[in-house]
Amino acid sequence: MNEHTVIFQPSGRRGKIKDGANLLEAARSLGVEIESICGEKKTCGKCKVQVEEGFFEKYGVDSRVGNLSGWTRDEERMLSLAEKENKYRLSCLAHVQGDLLVFVPEESRGGKQVVRKKAGKLKHKPDPALTIHYIEMQSPTLHDPEDDFLRVVAALKAQHGVEADRIDIHCLRAMTGTLRKADWKVTVFLLHGEIVRVAPGKVENYYGIAIDIGTTTVAAYLTDLKTGRAVATESKMNPQVIYGEDVMSRITYAMQNPETGLEKMHKAIIGTLNEMIGALAEEHMITRDDILEMVLVCNTAMHHILLRLDPQYVGVAPFPTAMSKALDVKARDLGIDINICGSIHVLANEAGFVGADNCGVLIAEEPYNSEELMLIIDIGTNGELLLGSKKHGVVSCSVATGPALEGAQIKFGMRAAPGAIEKVEIDQETLEPRFKVIGKELWNIDAAEIEAKGICGSGIIDVVSEMFRTGIIDKSGRFSKYAPSKRITKDPQSGMPEYILAYKEETSIGKDIVVTQGDVRAIQLAVGSIYAGAVIMMREHGVEKVDTVVLAGAFGSHLNQFSCLLMGMFPDAPLDKILSVGNAAGDGARLCLVNKHKRKEADEMARKVRYLELTVYKDFERVFMKSMQFPHMEDKFPTIQHVIDEIPDWKKIAREKEKAEQEGG
Amino acid sequence: MALDSAKKEELLKRLAQGVVEFEDDEVREAAQEWVDTGEDTYDAIFDGLVSGMEEVGKLFSAQEYFVPEMLMAADSLYIGLDILKPQMKPRDSGVKGAVVIGTVQGDVHDIGKNIVKMMFDVAGFNVYDLGRDVPLEDFLKKQLETNSDIVCLSAMMTTTMMGMPKVIEMIRAKNPNCKIMIGGAPITDDIVGKFGADATAKDASNALEEAVKMVVSLREIQKEANAKS
Repeated sequence: MNEHTVIFQPSGRRGKIKDGANLLEAARSLGVEIESICGEKKTCGKCKVQVEEGFFEKYGVDSRVGNLSGWTRDEERMLSLAEKENKYRLSCLAHVQGDLLVFVPEESRGGKQVVRKKAGKLKHKPDPALTIHYIEMQSPTLHDPEDDFLRVVAALKAQHGVEADRIDIHCLRAMTGTLRKADWKVTVFLLHGEIVRVAPGKVENYYGIAIDIGTTTVAAYLTDLKTGRAVATESKMNPQVIYGEDVMSRITYAMQNPETGLEKMHKAIIGTLNEMIGALAEEHMITRDDILEMVLVCNTAMHHILLRLDPQYVGVAPFPTAMSKALDVKARDLGIDINICGSIHVLANEAGFVGADNCGVLIAEEPYNSEELMLIIDIGTNGELLLGSKKHGVVSCSVATGPALEGAQIKFGMRAAPGAIEKVEIDQETLEPRFKVIGKELWNIDAAEIEAKGICGSGIIDVVSEMFRTGIIDKSGRFSKYAPSKRITKDPQSGMPEYILAYKEETSIGKDIVVTQGDVRAIQLAVGSIYAGAVIMMREHGVEKVDTVVLAGAFGSHLNQFSCLLMGMFPDAPLDKILSVGNAAGDGARLCLVNKHKRKEADEMARKVRYLELTVYKDFERVFMKSMQFPHMEDKFPTIQHVIDEIPDWKKIAREKEKAEQEGG
Repeated sequence: MALDSAKKEELLKRLAQGVVEFEDDEVREAAQEWVDTGEDTYDAIFDGLVSGMEEVGKLFSAQEYFVPEMLMAADSLYIGLDILKPQMKPRDSGVKGAVVIGTVQGDVHDIGKNIVKMMFDVAGFNVYDLGRDVPLEDFLKKQLETNSDIVCLSAMMTTTMMGMPKVIEMIRAKNPNCKIMIGGAPITDDIVGKFGADATAKDASNALEEAVKMVVSLREIQKEANAKS
């Protein structure tokens, strides 16, 4: 039977779908949840999806609206004209007749993504770049006919000792009226010597937004600049995922569509930022006008696309950026909808592959002030590593972890959303697992309904680590042929071994959730690349070990330290010296928003960090290869040696048993 | 000391097994024993080391072996090769051909390419390795200079992969008979068709598996050529 490739975004799920199946069936078979309240009775109109047209190099998919069955009367009734023009379809009515890339909009998604980018408490006192000053002035007289601007400047100097020398034209236009209406008692907003807002009366609290644009998720923190506290948080998927899941495929998309590609991705992210700004303002009951400054961190590719800079050169060696220094841009120049005089500060990029997001991590964790040697690992689609201390200085590198740690490229991988298996333990004797699913309180063995859909990043790390601890896979990652468990089976098609983590009855996808040999290999590559990066950096500093390991990134904060160490994601360290710090890049952005000294520090420190290009090291291949084994081919792990010693050797056990039976029989 | 057939079998087995189990010492000793007999080392290389490497390739395809095992096996193989090669008598039979190989401009990832190269090496090809981050026109230059049968292009990133069709076009214009193979993480069968290349491996995410398949397909090409002549 004829089959077509269908890809659902933003989940990234893809697979072959039989010709003639409708999109809702396709989604279900791939584990993508689409809202369908009426149960395909063609009445609710909830299962809206959007077809993205174009040739997508990465998937080799030429997606066309014409690859779906024709527009129906029911759709005419339930979808608006604008939706029709924007290639929306109802997934229960559109049948697959060719390759497709389909975007499932937020409102149609069945299970909402759990975005784990919470705002923690910051270490530094607020001292923001954007300041406010209440001033009172005398109105002009014939004896004192000074212009409005100089009158305000003089009052600022006299009453607060602050210097202002410029004013935004839009602010000036409004100011003359405001001054008079407010009887010359106003609050002046000042940013780098420029007057950007004049508000009537005395303003107490004022706001800025810190934003972390990740390749996959965007997190925004509305921050009270007086207290430095995040008062509202918002996160969304990066809408650019439909153009490519990783930075490289997005850069390629821009290269392949020179007229429109960059523009489309740029508009998409700006649109999302504007939605988020609106939501944050609404939540805290302020207006967009009340927001005067935003600080942004992101990787270099996101940085270029955001600023509509041609990203193609950061996509190929030697990966030069258009600009590495921090940048201040008027929000209006980017179409970002905050106060018209508002400003955007984008943190410095460190190197081609180490962007402003890593600069955020750098100033949040301050390895350059640390007595201990810190290894900081920011895990995302790309891994960025920092190693340093006050004594050693700081080096950085970028490793291609690939999307496996985020659940992609794993047979039953998924992002961290309800239904994802996030924690796993395996019994060393029975080889039976117990696991916990996001959205359920109880572990599977205690819960009546489990409804697992897949495995997310922290779950895959846990399960592979546990498979190693229990001898299901060996040091080289190979499945043991002797481990006695009915859960170890072979894929009927490929003949490759796999481990059944959840039986069909425990899932909501109608089939077993398994961990395949291929999954283990993908994880080996990912953790191996991180370890190898750490080894090269340690060599650069001339050290044998690190004192502290810091796991940053939304995903990093949900990892089990023990599992990570047992797999050899990083060199040995005491478990209590392996810390999770959450979204450090976002913290860095918030720090720069609320503290101008940190902002200065960020620009300075970003330039002091020495970037190591791993691939130029002659023996990188060897280092990487040795790092792929669990936990490592040669290096020792004293912290967990006792656990490694306890790993059952099923081959030996099987032989002994056989021998005993022979003797006994 | 002459090499009787029993001893020969034993040494071949030790060489092959040594490669499969990456026992460097075993390979070294067996190779040295062979060399000490003064016999031609052709069989030792092809029925010993290379046959072991073919087994490694199979294990790799079956995912029993992974990158580290593949590289360790390659190490053992090279140890044996260094000892055996100087004593190999030149001959006409065996796999022959010339290959130009390199990672395209802008890409510095070459682990996969190096292993592909090694497989060509051991299969008896003349390999011209241009290294990594290779300017696109250099592939054509080298192909014309060496009149190679095959050009292999590697890229790990989607961005650099886009240089491949340019190279293919250049080569096709000058030398339509040259076989072009492309490989690397982003390469799929569809891409091969779209770029107008001749082949890649089925599993695009794995450059190593591709190496094994390339050797097989090269042998087929060679067989066809032999059949014709």
